Amino acid sequence: MTTDGSGARSAERPRPWAAHAARGRGQHARRRPSRHRGQWAAWGFIVPVVAYLAAFYAYPLYRNIDLSVRSYTVASFVSGDAPFAGFANYASVFRSATFAPALINTTLFVFVSIAFQFAIGLALAVFFQRKFPLSSFLRALFLIPWLLPLLVSASTWSWMLNSDSGVVNALLHAFGVAHVNWLTSPNWSLASVLIANIWIGIPFNLVIMYSGLQSIPADVFEAAAIDGASGWQRFWRITFPLLRPVSAITLLLGFIYTLKVFDIIWIMTRGGPATSSTTLAIWAYQFGFGSLLPDFSSAAAVGNVLIVIALLFALVYIRVRSRLEES
Amino acid sequence: MNRRRWWVTGTGVLLTAAMLFPVYWMINVSLTKASDMRKSPPNLIPLDPTFDGYSAVIHQQLPYLGTSLLVGAGTVALTLLLAAPAGFSLAKLRPPGGGLLSLLLLIAQMIPSIVMAMGFYTIYIKLGILSTVWGLILADSTIAVPFGVLIFTAFMSRIPGELLQAARIDGAGTVRTFLSVVLPVSRNAIVTVSLFAFLWSWSDFLFANTLDNGGSLEPITLGIYAYIGNNNQQWNAIMATAVVASIPAAVLLVLAQRYVAAGVTAGAVKD
Amino acid sequence: MTVQVSRRLRTIGVAVATSAAVVAALSACSSSPSSSSSGAAPASSASSGGGGTYTFWDPYPQYNASSAWAKLIATCGTQAGVTIKRTGYDTTALVSQSLLAAQQGKSPNILLVDNPVVSTLAKAGALTTTAQNGLSTGSIAQNILGAGVIDGKTYGVPIGANTLALYYNPKILSAAGVDPASITSWATLTAALAKVKATGKTGITFSGINTEEGSFQFLPWFWGSGANLTDIGSPQAVAALTLWTTWLKDGYAPNSVIQDTQTTAWQEFQTGNVAFAENGTWQKAGAATMGAKVIPIPAQNGGAAPVPTGGEFFTIPVQKDTSTYATTAKIVQCLSSTSNIVTTDNTLNYVAPTQAGQQAQVSADSTLQTWVTAVGVAKARTGDNLGTKYPLISQQLWTAMQKAESGAATPAAALAAAQTAAAAAINK
Repeated sequence: MTTDGSGARSAERPRPWAAHAARGRGQHARRRPSRHRGQWAAWGFIVPVVAYLAAFYAYPLYRNIDLSVRSYTVASFVSGDAPFAGFANYASVFRSATFAPALINTTLFVFVSIAFQFAIGLALAVFFQRKFPLSSFLRALFLIPWLLPLLVSASTWSWMLNSDSGVVNALLHAFGVAHVNWLTSPNWSLASVLIANIWIGIPFNLVIMYSGLQSIPADVFEAAAIDGASGWQRFWRITFPLLRPVSAITLLLGFIYTLKVFDIIWIMTRGGPATSSTTLAIWAYQFGFGSLLPDFSSAAAVGNVLIVIALLFALVYIRVRSRLEES
Repeated sequence: MNRRRWWVTGTGVLLTAAMLFPVYWMINVSLTKASDMRKSPPNLIPLDPTFDGYSAVIHQQLPYLGTSLLVGAGTVALTLLLAAPAGFSLAKLRPPGGGLLSLLLLIAQMIPSIVMAMGFYTIYIKLGILSTVWGLILADSTIAVPFGVLIFTAFMSRIPGELLQAARIDGAGTVRTFLSVVLPVSRNAIVTVSLFAFLWSWSDFLFANTLDNGGSLEPITLGIYAYIGNNNQQWNAIMATAVVASIPAAVLLVLAQRYVAAGVTAGAVKD
Repeated sequence: MTVQVSRRLRTIGVAVATSAAVVAALSACSSSPSSSSSGAAPASSASSGGGGTYTFWDPYPQYNASSAWAKLIATCGTQAGVTIKRTGYDTTALVSQSLLAAQQGKSPNILLVDNPVVSTLAKAGALTTTAQNGLSTGSIAQNILGAGVIDGKTYGVPIGANTLALYYNPKILSAAGVDPASITSWATLTAALAKVKATGKTGITFSGINTEEGSFQFLPWFWGSGANLTDIGSPQAVAALTLWTTWLKDGYAPNSVIQDTQTTAWQEFQTGNVAFAENGTWQKAGAATMGAKVIPIPAQNGGAAPVPTGGEFFTIPVQKDTSTYATTAKIVQCLSSTSNIVTTDNTLNYVAPTQAGQQAQVSADSTLQTWVTAVGVAKARTGDNLGTKYPLISQQLWTAMQKAESGAATPAAALAAAQTAAAAAINK
């Protein structure tokens, strides 16, 4: 999937220029007006989005950076004159005892979520490839978790995972398994929010991977079947490599979206007990909205750390993608 | 052969049932009496149901549902309006700075929503659109637009150049080409982006809470707060609201499913 | 190649410049938040008594436009000659919403907030004092007013007060052979819980969650041991937390208390399998339905433990148009007049903040006497001049509670860490 034009563009560009150089100046001058019109049209189509980005993304980002490099108290937040603090907020965030657990929890939460969401989404997509009665209806039903407000999904999981009156423990008890304190034990709280998050993320992965599979022409599979490849070999040797670009973008988007997740964790455990399920997003929210005395500067600092981490990953993705395109 | 297919259907039904168990539980809770909420072990089926939650919803929440539908439709319209042309431009028109724009759109999705909400609050007060439906539509579209541009770019880059050349030869300008040739062919991408935009705006709570609280029209995610008082929460009503709120979205999902499957990543696979 | 690069650079330059210009324009607008820039609230531009719309924010989203509360507000508004536009917010969102609004100069005319938030908003400079707005506080009980008094200035008046006590299920207690009148100290309470457990029922539920509700529920035990919020690592504090962790370990309290809100803890009590529930005044109607009764929370060595005051405050935020204060004060006075406030407090299940109001409530419903007495000895969380230190202490307190309850640390270690963190946060 060519998400940025640069890959293909660099392949195309030498040609027109070379042609112009060969034809000489006169014709070059005559060509300019239509190409310029083309350029204006190209710009015209994206100017709304550029303005939109500047107004609605750049501005909040700018304010967030401003919040993080000044020391805002509630008083200076209201009056607007806070002293410049430079890197101080970031330093105190990095020095805080919560930073290491938050970072570790974030890493675990994001990678485990994505691994399972992707694997299960892909497995289900492969499963639904076959045509069987009710397949499209069932596939549509799979998307229902996606349209529930997060308040409701998270609360439902909270009820289900309750130590004493939750149905999950009741079912475990019926099978003779010991009772687990899903949300109240520091050992299980992260696992509990992971389960809920994976559940919520499966539909997105299913939809995208299913379409990816749909766009692989059927004759590719037929050819492989004729060559005697087994189902499993067909999948690993042919299907999966063909899905690499789709997988890459799904994983990248999954990473960015999961990094931002906070509703689910906030409603289920609020990052507790202690810091056992606190991620960076939760920590930022705790600073800004989790106490009666908000600390917007620290919240903004943690928020920016999150954005930087996402950015680093995006750059890794672009590297990987351009290497994929070269091969 | 048929028997095998029914086995597959059976497995499919089991998998779907497992996946939807929490949704079933939500329905179960919506029918549970307040005094049975913390029963241990819980009732697997609502043995002693109460319809108080549903009657509260029917009597109070329908206007909120209407607003949610309005906001959803508005978000879809705005997202398509912004993302489709941009996707076309990035895919086919090669604007200068296109690569940078794609990167910026990716970065735009990285900003935590709470940062966006606080920034919007300030902007909206300046523009005077706080607590309005339009403001909410604008905010909800920020969730969908970058993703929409991604989908449209991917899809439209697969449109054969010959199609566009033919239109050009016939004398169509870029805009005409876009409207009469590109858009009709991109139907699947349009449906896909619309679905994502609608669903994301339907379940948004943060922007609604920060930017539309107290407006004359509030969406369903705020309507739920009628049951979350400062000291007491009515869980059966909350779950009933969620069940009722899911129905229009679920219907839309089943209808749009066909287009989404074919549309999302056409062009993602190299052949 | 060079032409390509320079064209590209030029385009990027244009893009960046455009974005920068847009951002600069927007930030120029916002750089003077307290100046009357854009069309400021037409609401507050109405001169006193001359009509116009006043805005009212409260944390009661459960009351919609047709409720008695909304009608009362409308009536008081009409009496003062204005229309009131009321919005009910989720109580947890109200702090940040109020601060954001104050920053933009768009504060509501009347803001009803949970009492520990008053000191935060006062410190932010968002609220007016009674000297500025003309509200009178004469007949209000001092301990209830306490949360609104910071540095000798009063920033609001209470709508009513609620507090905590120990509800009990008489059937379970009689089956276990426990006499509720004998529960006068921690030792006697724990002994009663043991007897209840022996009959197969659960002993007690409370809310030990990592939010302000958890701290609120812990305070009676904390204060009942003689501890003070200025040192949450003291041996008395450790004794209080050890009481809870011992109950958890011995199975007298269910594990879910770590995650329960006051509502969900109450729902456990409602199943009829729990003997005691520490909960608030607002549950008294539900308690009456299930036949539960109430006793004061015992202190460690006898007597009733000091309990924290809950309940919201009417505050009048700072407005650009100061002539609105007179009308606003009139509206607040109307809402807190004895007859109106008694009706409101009966709806909310709060205790009235004035003696006249309390007497009216008790004469209408004598079961309220226990609660009136409890509120009489309650104290504000932000009292003792803690003000905005309280939220910082509270946050560490609930973190320590969670660590100890979940077994991640011993009560002593958890509270020692909490005290260090709280002191650091206060001195930052």
